[in-house]
Amino acid sequence: MRKLFIISTAIFWLAVAGFWLADFRTATVPVAAVPPVAEPAVRGYLLVEVAWHAKPDDCWMAIDGSVYDITAYLPDHPSEPELILPWCGKEATQAWQTKGKGRSHSPRANQLLEKYRIGVLS
Amino acid sequence: MRAAAAKRQAQLTARPHSAWAHRFAAPFAALAPTLAIVWWAFPEDLPLWRSIAIVSAWAGSGLLVMSLVLMVREPHAARLLGGLESMYRWHHRSGMIAYLLLLCHPLTLALDGWIEAPPLAWQALAPWAQSWPLWLGWSALLLLMFGLTTTFAARLPYRRWRAFHFALGLGVLLGLAHIYALLGGADMLLLLIIVTAVALGWRLIASDLGVAARPYRVTQVTHHVGGMIEVRLMPCATALAVSPGQFILVAFGDGHTYHGCGEYHPFTVSGIEAGGSLRVGIKALGTCSQRLQSLEPGVLVRVQGPFGIFLSESPSAPQLWVAGGIGITPFMAVLRAHPCNRPTTLLYLFRNEADAAFLDELAALATTDPQFELITDASDKGLPDFPELLGKIGQIAAREVYICGPMPMVEALLPHLRQMGVAAESIHFERFDFR
Repeated sequence: MRKLFIISTAIFWLAVAGFWLADFRTATVPVAAVPPVAEPAVRGYLLVEVAWHAKPDDCWMAIDGSVYDITAYLPDHPSEPELILPWCGKEATQAWQTKGKGRSHSPRANQLLEKYRIGVLS
Repeated sequence: MRAAAAKRQAQLTARPHSAWAHRFAAPFAALAPTLAIVWWAFPEDLPLWRSIAIVSAWAGSGLLVMSLVLMVREPHAARLLGGLESMYRWHHRSGMIAYLLLLCHPLTLALDGWIEAPPLAWQALAPWAQSWPLWLGWSALLLLMFGLTTTFAARLPYRRWRAFHFALGLGVLLGLAHIYALLGGADMLLLLIIVTAVALGWRLIASDLGVAARPYRVTQVTHHVGGMIEVRLMPCATALAVSPGQFILVAFGDGHTYHGCGEYHPFTVSGIEAGGSLRVGIKALGTCSQRLQSLEPGVLVRVQGPFGIFLSESPSAPQLWVAGGIGITPFMAVLRAHPCNRPTTLLYLFRNEADAAFLDELAALATTDPQFELITDASDKGLPDFPELLGKIGQIAAREVYICGPMPMVEALLPHLRQMGVAAESIHFERFDFR
């Protein structure tokens, strides 16, 4: 069992390091190498721009590649504020898909969310 | 002392043929609730890796909580769950499987992110991209990692090892707090929190602090050969109902000049007397048992138990008992309780006669009890000549064999027994380790 512990822990940290390295390599691709793209029809936001709106009175979230400004909806959200507020300014796809029991939000909630869409994540 | 687990001993136990329920009770207790939790939390319509992440998290949490239940030292629960040995084995196994599952949880979340967009993978793991509910999860996992690292550190002294082991309990609590912060008070989660609180509370308050213990007093200390003492314990209140072959957990207090180490250690009962007095044999093996050699009458002790299921079912076949050194104590308890009711041969192995406790008493029993035969062997260095010794025993293949002694002796003896035709299910011993 001792051997299993050592091997599994080592594999775990190697995998974490692998994800970090992969991220490091993609993040250091020179900006000039990215071909210029046509102006998108919908406004694109960087995750860092989303992160500027991380307050209860100014709350944006990125979900499934779209960006939402849900500040106006926050007071109506059924859960306790401490469950939803930590996701302001974040990539919140996980949280959206794992509400309660690990289940996603309802189709009705999906429709409601669309009303607050302000752009896409670029 | 069995608790000074550096000296691992094979503790004799009965493993009756019909006792499959005993063998499967502990794994059932670990796995059945876990499967129920996974069934309850099984994700619908989610991507594959996210589903695996959710299932691994709930299965890991369920197993972790049940591993806490399996370390509760309570005589009734132990009887129900097939004995402490089986409970501890499954405490270890379920804890380890839970750890593996919980390692998969963040990795599969990262894989899920990777499939959506590679930069999301690292974002799912990077601590600075997280909020406090996820930091709770990371803290829990790192505490489990730390606790298990110390658990597997073989050279750590028992007391320090036990202190570090508490990190694992704290890891479980933080893990549950992580789920609570993310999901809120789901019924299943509240149930897990209650079970954890009861198991940890019971273990800490009733077992470790000794609230459930009975008071006894040392009335006699007999010094035997080979650095062994036999202590007579008289109940100060209601006596425990102990059967020969069982063991008890004892914490020795202070006397006029004696200062006990105060922590609970297991001792096999070597005699049960009228009025509920118990005798335990203690050999100087660890720091605590070394100190016990200067024990004096009058010292108050706290006793928990009894534990163990030795000969809870009596097969009618003739028996062979093999005792190595201090492993003689459970056999002494049986022999002192009543004459043998079937042909019984005791093979008593020791380093030399000056090291062999109870030799005179055993020789006297062998002359008065026609069913009881005593064979002794002194092997100064190394292991005894097992083929020669076993050759002296008539109808060996038809016997039920019970072994109690150091693990290297048991492991060396097993292949010889099998070679002599003893069926595997007729060989009874227990790998007991309190770590």
